[in-house]
Amino acid sequence: MSWQTEVDELNLRRQFADGLGGADAIQRHHEQGRLTIRERIAELVDPGSFQEVGKLTGQGSYQDGKLVGVTPAPYVMGLAKIAGRPVAIGGEDFTIRGGTSWSGDRKKGGQGGFVEDLAHHYHIPLVNLIDGVGGSVASAKRRGHAVFPGVHGFETSVSLLGMVPVVCAVMGTAAGGPAGRAILSHWSVMVRGSSQIFAAGPPVVQRSLGQKIDKEELGGAGMAVDTAGTIDNAAPSERECFAAIRRFLSYMPQNVWELPPAIPCDDPVDRQDEALLSIVPRDRRQPYNMRRLIGMVVDQGSIFEIQPTFGKTLITSLARLNGKVVGVIANDPMIYGGAMDARAARKQTHFMEVCDTFHIPIVMFVDVPGFMVGREAEAATTLREGMRSVFVGLQATVPILTVVIRKCYGMAGMGTTDKNGLDLKLAWPSAEWGSLPIEGGVAAAYRREIEAAPDPVERERQIEAELRALASPFRTAEAFGVEDIIDPRETRPTLSRFIDAVQGKLQTMVGPKLKPGVRP
Amino acid sequence: MATIEVRVEVTGLVWEVVARPGDRVAAGDPLMILESMKMEIPVVTEREGTIKEILVTEGMPVSEGQVVALMER
Repeated sequence: MSWQTEVDELNLRRQFADGLGGADAIQRHHEQGRLTIRERIAELVDPGSFQEVGKLTGQGSYQDGKLVGVTPAPYVMGLAKIAGRPVAIGGEDFTIRGGTSWSGDRKKGGQGGFVEDLAHHYHIPLVNLIDGVGGSVASAKRRGHAVFPGVHGFETSVSLLGMVPVVCAVMGTAAGGPAGRAILSHWSVMVRGSSQIFAAGPPVVQRSLGQKIDKEELGGAGMAVDTAGTIDNAAPSERECFAAIRRFLSYMPQNVWELPPAIPCDDPVDRQDEALLSIVPRDRRQPYNMRRLIGMVVDQGSIFEIQPTFGKTLITSLARLNGKVVGVIANDPMIYGGAMDARAARKQTHFMEVCDTFHIPIVMFVDVPGFMVGREAEAATTLREGMRSVFVGLQATVPILTVVIRKCYGMAGMGTTDKNGLDLKLAWPSAEWGSLPIEGGVAAAYRREIEAAPDPVERERQIEAELRALASPFRTAEAFGVEDIIDPRETRPTLSRFIDAVQGKLQTMVGPKLKPGVRP
Repeated sequence: MATIEVRVEVTGLVWEVVARPGDRVAAGDPLMILESMKMEIPVVTEREGTIKEILVTEGMPVSEGQVVALMER
């Protein structure tokens, strides 16, 4: 006697699971331009690699003790591969009660779910495909009591952030627990136009504050990505969202005990782009295209920009130099002359922590006139956010290579160097530095002398000219105050040599990093 | 005919207005130059079109996100 009868039942139960919330619910979901959770996983992972866990979970219905159907638990998850490497992956099934939580003996997904345990115990990246609004008040009626917040807490979600790469993709509408879960990630993405995220949706907002606002305005990409920086990147479609997730993970190690994957580089390491010689205008009031500059230095096609539409005075990108992963941080002179504002500081803080955690050396392309000034900047906590990013930079133990392109001033300038390490500072001939840009500081420092002069305007101009002559980067290089000045065209070969040379050290630094102290 | 709003990305002063109503412009063309944080920041269009109206004058302060020009496709 074989177990064929039971295996037939197993297959029947698997069919019920594949049916999700039923044909009608799936059709309504598709009409919104959205894929089902099973379609999403299939699109994202390597073909045939999904090893589902918990496919039999749900609510069975029986007639005379015989199974007639199962409403699946609204969460699909398991083990899969992305670019040949294992990941834990899961997501809510919106076609069943809008992906609300389900009460089995063990939670499948979200915070404290099996999918988190899988990433945690196997030291593999976690990918959350979020499409749910968390608990429903209706569950209290089912259980007979109200659940205390945190029964399924965020403790594993938090622990994972120091251990394995965590990617959260907001695929539909996320509120409550799933929205909170989305934030506890190294990198997050949403779909512009069809996904939203908020602490609570429009009905709760109207009830609490009387505000009438639709869900796209409250938590679409315009708010969550561009304005608030709650989510890092926006993709134009679900498919492009999956491509971005695969791309992000291609720069990441599997866990903090490994180094990020180096790949063969077919872009010549000694490539010297002629355009670098003239990319910085001689007129220091004129900005230039920093993204173009970065593109000429790093491996061709290797740039993946994080938070391109938030904190735009700063550019943060993952990239490669001679095939090795680097984190690029650059000021954008086109936006506020590259000044560090609160948004840019927050962006830099998070990006540096991600790089430090996963042993990704940082390359700084510096053109910063200082912290952003003015009433709005002070109200936006520029000083505190700025010093927090300086603090986090000083806790980082990963190598930081500094290339001063033009301005490097003040406290923001301090935050661009590698004080815990070699502190290698390379400068272009266009570089200038100090505690304050000359034009801002002269009037203050020489006030009496200027006021006493017969022609104060002329005297101020004279003092500026004298100081400007002393500001030549060659004079600082004579004093070894910067380690070298390089021909801009030599930037790629020079950086590549140092990044190559430090790989051995990186190997000795693997493992989790503990960060004592209190962030300002 | 669809109206396109041109917004500025930074707070600052309008230093020079380059484009005039009726001008035909291509994507990436500067419409005006702002002075912000002691830098000359060009305000460029993201699309091609015809300038319908310039809403600011030289020396006027502008705020991040402010509409400074209207264009037609």
